[in-house]
Amino acid sequence: MKVFDLIIVGAGPGGSMAAKVAAEEGLKVIFFERGRKPGEKNSSGCGLGPRMFRDFPEMMKDLTPDKCPSMRAGTASRNYFVNNDDIVAGYIMARPTESVSYEPAKSWITMNVYRSEFDPWIAKFATDAGAELKTSTLIVDLLKENGKICGVIDEKGEKYRAPLVVGADGVLSTVAQKSGLRNKWAQNQVTLVPQYDFQASSDKIDDIMGDETLGVWWGSNFPASYQVFFNDGFHQGLGNWMNWWDSNPLYYLNRVINLKYYQRLLKILDAKPRELQAHLLPWLDFPINTHADGVILIGDAGGFPCPLEAEGIYPAMVTGKIAAEVASEVIPSGDVSKATLKKFDEKWQKTSIGKEFEAGHELWNIWKALPFSPKETMSWFVPMIMEILGGIFDWSQPHALRVRQIISHVRSYIPKATPFIMAYVIPLLSKVFEDDLDKLMDPKKILKVLPKLLDMLPQKKKKRGD
Amino acid sequence: MNMEIEGLTKRILGTGNFISIDLNKCNRCERCLVICVMNLWRKKEGKIYIIDEYQSKCLECAACYQVCDAGAIKFQYPKGGTGIVIEKG
Repeated sequence: MKVFDLIIVGAGPGGSMAAKVAAEEGLKVIFFERGRKPGEKNSSGCGLGPRMFRDFPEMMKDLTPDKCPSMRAGTASRNYFVNNDDIVAGYIMARPTESVSYEPAKSWITMNVYRSEFDPWIAKFATDAGAELKTSTLIVDLLKENGKICGVIDEKGEKYRAPLVVGADGVLSTVAQKSGLRNKWAQNQVTLVPQYDFQASSDKIDDIMGDETLGVWWGSNFPASYQVFFNDGFHQGLGNWMNWWDSNPLYYLNRVINLKYYQRLLKILDAKPRELQAHLLPWLDFPINTHADGVILIGDAGGFPCPLEAEGIYPAMVTGKIAAEVASEVIPSGDVSKATLKKFDEKWQKTSIGKEFEAGHELWNIWKALPFSPKETMSWFVPMIMEILGGIFDWSQPHALRVRQIISHVRSYIPKATPFIMAYVIPLLSKVFEDDLDKLMDPKKILKVLPKLLDMLPQKKKKRGD
Repeated sequence: MNMEIEGLTKRILGTGNFISIDLNKCNRCERCLVICVMNLWRKKEGKIYIIDEYQSKCLECAACYQVCDAGAIKFQYPKGGTGIVIEKG
């Protein structure tokens, strides 16, 4: 039997970060990957957030196109609003705004990379630091002695011993299951995400998309669908919680692909489908059960993707680093009890990830109710937002009359919009401001006041000179 | 546009069996039939089954396992170094 100080199951960004930091702290580390190389089993999670470049600058400056040819900065995002008839009714293009406070966040929203290039790149930091990487190896069980976890067992029955095991083994974490931390996610804690990769030449993407290299397609006939551009291709995918699907998930994704607008985009980009992928993605309002005696869960295994946009790599790296720091602290003492490993929770809750989850419930709720409830919400949200944004660009009537028409039409959405605002927007705002906003903005008062305010608008245009 | 999905996934053979269903536990809710992107779950004479050639079609997403509230579907990732290879994920 091979003996180590720390065993990490999984060589994604979280596992590799944990292995790197633990090895640098002087621990004898092994980390396992079931693919032939890291990244071979991963789809999506391909947007690197600017916080990675802020928090791990030394590492990230090493990520260059010669090591990761798929790199493309997701500079501007375009939100396409698709109406009930599957027509693109309008869009908002946005670049990082003036209030964004640091580089590289001022320059781009995400750095898009294929995992088959990124994951081996980050794993090399761990092996360079002295951690041992074992690929093509599936861990199937935890090694236990007198009921105490003391290592892992691979599919061939090979045993590896260590006082502490870090579960970096993704959404279906064997470590979580075998340690009793979780049998299975609840259906509203995990999403299914099918995704196509399209090949398109780098020049065409440059010419046609410019720096609009992220897209979100908001529609009432499909859950919000994301588009992520890489150097020579792009992803189109969508997801929803397990209990939402009433048809094959590809039916909904193909509805996006078959939008006339989308078909035109495929044509001018000369894009060809290159890969089909599907994966589960944990999407929680707050990570729970992250540790047990001798076990810590990080990244997707621990349920750490961002509660609003499900950014996964940065939370995996942060929790991986913290798990390694906690490991190097507790392993010499021999105390790896659940009570001691509580340090892991205390530490991640103080980070940027912890701050994200402070409003996790409210963020999760609003997202679930808006882009992921296409029929219930997007069916009125899209026409309403387009009335507000685009209604004035019209030659059908005198413009003053158009303004009155628009206001009157937007008013007709109040019965649908107000309950939504009260149920999702106000709770989020009050959480964000941690203020008694509900006292200042009593929803009942708003509901009373809003129609009155709108009534105060003149019903008829006064004649000039009256 | 009819998206042709045949040939969009690379695989290394030799996975062995990695999905099974316990018909004694199955409550025939048919959620697996709905959720499977590759449409690998079928129903015949009231019994749910996965097609024989699933090993060469499955995307290894494990949605069938996750969605099964009855706990009837077993899923274990294929042997290390086998199964799907994602190059552009």
